[in-house]
Amino acid sequence: MTHHHNDYDVVIVGAGIAGAIMAKQLGEQGKQVLILEAGTGTDGRFFDQGKEQGYESYMERFFTAMAKIPNAPYPNNPNAPQPLVTDIQKPPLDKPVSDHGYFVQYGPDPFASTYTRSEGGTTLHWLGTCLRMLPEDFELQSRFGRGRDWPISYQELQPWYEIAEQHIGVSANADVQNYHQIDNPSVQLPFEENYNYPMEQIPQSFLDQYLAKGLQGMQVNIDNQTYPIDVVATPQGRNGMPRGDYRPVGAVGNPDLGQRCAGNSNCVPICPIQAKYSALKTLEQAKQTGNVTIETQAVAYHLAVDDNTQNISKVHYKRYHSSDSAAFEDKAVTGKIVVLAAHAVENAKLLLASNVANSSDQVGRNLMDHPTMLTWGLMPCKIGAFRGPGSTSGIPSLRGGAFRADQAAFRIEIGNWGWSWPEGAPIATVPDLIDKHGLFGPALRHKIAEEYPRMFRFGFLVEQLPDPDNRVTIDDQYRDQLGNYRPVIHYKVTDYTRAGMAQAKEVSDAIFQRLGVEPFTQYKTSDPGYVQYQGKGYVYNGAGHLVGTHLMGKDPKDSVVNRDQRSWDHPNLYLVGCGNMPTIATSNPTLTMAALTFWAADNVLNALDQY
Amino acid sequence: MYRLSDFYRLSAALTGYQEVELQGTGVGPVYCQTLSKWVRQDVIEALYAQAEQIGALDNDTNQARFYDQIWNSAKLGPVARNIIKMWYLSIWYQLPADWNALYGVDDFSADKPPVEDYVISSNAYIQGLVWNALGSHPMGAKQPGYGTWAFPGHTAKTHNLD
Ligand SMILES: Cc1cc2nc3c(=O)[nH]c(=O)nc-3n(C[C@H](O)[C@H](O)[C@H](O)COP(=O)(O)OP(=O)(O)OC[C@H]3O[C@@H](n4cnc5c(N)ncnc54)[C@H](O)[C@@H]3O)c2cc1C
Ligand code: SF4
Repeated sequence: MTHHHNDYDVVIVGAGIAGAIMAKQLGEQGKQVLILEAGTGTDGRFFDQGKEQGYESYMERFFTAMAKIPNAPYPNNPNAPQPLVTDIQKPPLDKPVSDHGYFVQYGPDPFASTYTRSEGGTTLHWLGTCLRMLPEDFELQSRFGRGRDWPISYQELQPWYEIAEQHIGVSANADVQNYHQIDNPSVQLPFEENYNYPMEQIPQSFLDQYLAKGLQGMQVNIDNQTYPIDVVATPQGRNGMPRGDYRPVGAVGNPDLGQRCAGNSNCVPICPIQAKYSALKTLEQAKQTGNVTIETQAVAYHLAVDDNTQNISKVHYKRYHSSDSAAFEDKAVTGKIVVLAAHAVENAKLLLASNVANSSDQVGRNLMDHPTMLTWGLMPCKIGAFRGPGSTSGIPSLRGGAFRADQAAFRIEIGNWGWSWPEGAPIATVPDLIDKHGLFGPALRHKIAEEYPRMFRFGFLVEQLPDPDNRVTIDDQYRDQLGNYRPVIHYKVTDYTRAGMAQAKEVSDAIFQRLGVEPFTQYKTSDPGYVQYQGKGYVYNGAGHLVGTHLMGKDPKDSVVNRDQRSWDHPNLYLVGCGNMPTIATSNPTLTMAALTFWAADNVLNALDQY
Repeated sequence: MYRLSDFYRLSAALTGYQEVELQGTGVGPVYCQTLSKWVRQDVIEALYAQAEQIGALDNDTNQARFYDQIWNSAKLGPVARNIIKMWYLSIWYQLPADWNALYGVDDFSADKPPVEDYVISSNAYIQGLVWNALGSHPMGAKQPGYGTWAFPGHTAKTHNLD
């Protein structure tokens, strides 16, 4: 259904998970919604319609891409450029910036995370990990004298967590996810009595089971306190076995596909059968309400303000004709309410470019990510690497504890795909077997058969604190081909986080030793994410968890939105997405953000009643 | 396809897979074509001939001759190694410029300059031998089915090993 008017109840900028949830919730209540989406669209298509534009064209691109990076399946579009991991460099010391790719980076440390700018947004290539935050994560300042407190508590968010889990279709068991089996009260999560996830937990990989057995009873000591090391299944936004009457959502345009995860082992960058949740599914539901229009190839670049009411009066956008040309039409649209859901960095950019919502001077500041440190090695026996979803379990027992007063907490992710992340195995490593080790014929085959199934890696998602100097800004010098600003980033990894990395490495070493893992971890000084702490070197990667650029707070003086996720400065402007989160803690942020977005949609509906 | 049977015979020796397994992938003809696209035909012929002369690599003498006359040959070694990489990884890696100058296809200069390494086709990616060798399936294709990852995994087939 298309509306040929220019006046909507709500205009949403961005067709990622945040924009999609907002649109669906409003559309279901009969509100007229327009979504402006900067990227190109799949038009709801899956395998059934054309290789040119549809989802399958993404698969084709992925299969033939040399660098199978997260954005590999999604075309680069100079009209809606996106950051790529292959662009990341150490910001040079002798020059002010690293101007490579889409981000302009001033450092001192490189910001290593990316996102996707096409319909569906970054959930097209997310992993799907759906953890809740811990109660103490909402109160870092009052409990540990670090970071900030949230204006809301775990208890207040909990019903919204349930709604988000049901909607995304999370596979997990509540009696496992409350962590009551873990002997660390800090990490234990209160769940509503009798609540359970919509689908049973995804089976743990053979590797997970092997680790769980080998690490039974293991403890580590931090600041004279012992902490357990427990392997626990991770809740995931991919289709498992449904509980009761729940029916998982299949693939967009072909609901018979993707009803169960079939082990394509490719969740990042693309699930071929859409068994993994992506925002395309929610967008489809939003469209089916008949009240939601999505305009793709529409890049919002300016918000106009009504001087009397301080309301956002118009959203200006550039509607380009194709990604091959910079030709565009300049358009504008009005909504009673405007919702920005363009992703943490792009939301901040749009606010800064329009000079709105920034009376606190916090827009773009407090950019956070999970600097992710990897360790890898060879298991003493074959653990069946390179199979299943990217990660099916983790070690969550160090997500919280008294040590957070001094150093970052972290979550340990157990990777199922061997050395694919740290070394690019097998594609990037097999040439060395041939060229450097002179292997061919049966010997080559044998080497791969014996070694690769033993490959194993951990990922440590280390906490970062909100730091006003870690920020996204804009600069007239740096524009894309449509004349829109490119994000200019200042970023550093402080000692609080580095101490967490060092602690994580110690824990990893202890685990490797206990299990007899032959270590292969190498932190090269030439790596862009190389940092030192107390004389030792570590390397971090980006996690894609961009948080904090328009954070929520109690006080308009030091936060951008209130607990309703409404701008303090503009009554009809709501912001959604991970940018609202005041701290990142140790969980992948999207579930929390989705819960917040359901809440925000309720607030928008209430506000619309007043119009 | 020009001398496809020679290509399979040599490929079997180089990859450690039996000819029938290679044929089963269905991508042999494309690889054979790719080889001709980048390597002069007389060099390919020389490689087949040399391999033929050495014979099966089932004893030390023949293996030593293979290393000497093919693997360590400035002319033939890089081609042999590229054939293995093609089968395992479905990628054509560009040969070094100095090698190309001596043995690369003649019409390099204009329409076929040495480009970047590339994945031969999406089907080739799916058929890459490395996935079978490591006891799994190509990432993104040939899905093994719900929950299969909970089991130890079929230990990669290692028949034909000395
Ligand atoms: C490799 C990777 C793995 C990840 N794995 C996980 C995980 O396992 N668990 C987890 O919780 N999180 C994960 N994440 C993070 C997760 O993907 C993001 O938090 C989430 O997708 C953000 O949703 P969003 O709707 O706010 O933004 P996006 O999904 O980025 O959507 C924003 C949309 O807005 C559009 N847009 C941008 N600018 C404009 C503009 N100016 N005008 C109009 N439209 C615009 C974009 O094109 C896009 O469609 C991962 C991220 C990456 C990169
Ligand atoms: S393992 Fe495969 S089927 Fe399952 S979600 Fe990941 S890519 Fe999709």
